[in-house]
Amino acid sequence: MPPEPLILGFDTSAAHCAAALRSGSDIIARAHEPMQRGQAERLVPLLEEMLNHAGAGWRDLHAVGVGIGPGNFTGVRIAVSAARGMALALGIPAIGVSSFEALAEGHVLPVMVLVGAPRGHVHAQIRTAPLAGKPSSGDSPRYMPLADALAQAGATGLPVIGPDALIRAEAITAAAARRLAAGRVIERPKPLYLRAADAAPPRERPPPILP
Amino acid sequence: MTRSLTILGLESSCDDTAAAIVRHTEHDRPAILSSVVTGQKDLHAAFGGVVPEIAARAHTEKLDFCIEQALHESSLTLQDLDAIAVTAGPGLIGGVLSGVMMAKGIAAAAELPLIGVNHLAGHALTPRLVEPVEFPYLMLLVSGGHCQFLVARSAEHFTRLGGTIDDAPGEAFDKTARILGLPQPGGPSVEQEAARGDPARFAFPRPLLDRPGCDLSFSGLKTSVLRARDAETARYGGLPRQIRADLCAAFQHAVSGVLAEKTRRALRLYLAEKPEDPIFAVAGGVAANKEIRTVLEIVCNEQGVRFIAPPQALCTDNAAMIAWAGIELFRLGRKDTLSLSARPRWPLDQTSPAMLGSGRKGAKA
Repeated sequence: MPPEPLILGFDTSAAHCAAALRSGSDIIARAHEPMQRGQAERLVPLLEEMLNHAGAGWRDLHAVGVGIGPGNFTGVRIAVSAARGMALALGIPAIGVSSFEALAEGHVLPVMVLVGAPRGHVHAQIRTAPLAGKPSSGDSPRYMPLADALAQAGATGLPVIGPDALIRAEAITAAAARRLAAGRVIERPKPLYLRAADAAPPRERPPPILP
Repeated sequence: MTRSLTILGLESSCDDTAAAIVRHTEHDRPAILSSVVTGQKDLHAAFGGVVPEIAARAHTEKLDFCIEQALHESSLTLQDLDAIAVTAGPGLIGGVLSGVMMAKGIAAAAELPLIGVNHLAGHALTPRLVEPVEFPYLMLLVSGGHCQFLVARSAEHFTRLGGTIDDAPGEAFDKTARILGLPQPGGPSVEQEAARGDPARFAFPRPLLDRPGCDLSFSGLKTSVLRARDAETARYGGLPRQIRADLCAAFQHAVSGVLAEKTRRALRLYLAEKPEDPIFAVAGGVAANKEIRTVLEIVCNEQGVRFIAPPQALCTDNAAMIAWAGIELFRLGRKDTLSLSARPRWPLDQTSPAMLGSGRKGAKA
């Protein structure tokens, strides 16, 4: 029998460094360090400490799971870039898991998942189970004021997760493990921004050019 | 003992995503085994300048592909490398962070040493990548984000003789292009237009020439171009094509005039140190401008100083210079831990007083 897949999962999409190590269906190590800043400095040393503690090495990993947001743009890029580097170095898949999927993990479906965004807004997604016993899937996320999202949830009677729920790296490893077991082609993780970059074309137009 | 080093370099501090592999055996010339640069020109074109968030997004999704291509082109695997070097600043922090985290992911998982490189050191050490050059040499680093004179004394020790107190020349080229309705990036488009223009038609200021020292200023120059444009536009009810060319020529002439005179002064300070083999080198995107290159070469010839201008692909942002700086630093014993920080501000000369952004966050460069 092949060994149980060993999956390292992590997330820095909010004010934390969260990490977990899963062997088969068991979580064998976990860490959650709250921090406003310093994730870029802390993340990789934290992962090394966790692997060491579990008596595992990088080469033992079968996949890495990474939180792709929505969340803090810079925070998401920190984890996604590191995960893509690890995948490249180890020749294993990096599996992107959205904040919605991670937060819905382990809940009775359907649920409405809210992820906090700046200026009193949230990203809202309804997660449903297409078939009993299958993982959840989500509709198109919508960006709206928190009050509107709560009103919609109230009208539909859906339980609400968020907008301040903690993303757990254990949930990321669970979602990644399912994706790995499904055996389909896994695309490289990309940040899920859900908002365009703040940028506007220059307002001033140059004068008409005469021949 | 001769020891061969092969290092992967990563660069993502502005709008070029780059990966390269350089090999160097002591007492031998370094070899660039591969150098991949993926630009983002089209992504920023509509905004009249580099948008940091757009740049950061692109780096995050492009850098690993660049690395794979660099490995493929050199027929190497990560196992063949001795270390990985990455730009850790100064620059647009989102992009720098993506590069640093990618490098840490690889360094940790492949168990390779990690070296954080100052982007400016990458430019400043490029002369030694392309030719046998001994320290100390004088360097003019002139690009979209920087303009400074440095005496390079070792791979880790630089003395700044002067620099811009406001805009970098590359920024001034971009702004000039924007106000004259020319495409971005402004360097090549203004240069092309200037070739058909008469520089004598407008007399633009030569800022700070009246003051001693090697400091420069370019923000007033772009304001002068704007004023001249408005006056001409009012006169003709639009900007005649020939006058636009003349504005470009006069602007470029002013920039090269200032750089030539300040280079003369920097050379005087450098030559006072009596270097054995005096060398002046340029680097940075603006060093690709032919008029600027020519006047700098003339100044060097006047003073009997060897002039080095690396090929254009090594003047603009690239990762071969980061790999090479990594090799130089690694030989000096430099190694960083996996808690390496990305730094938006990181002056190369840590001792001279700060020139730009000397506020709470410290000097930019």
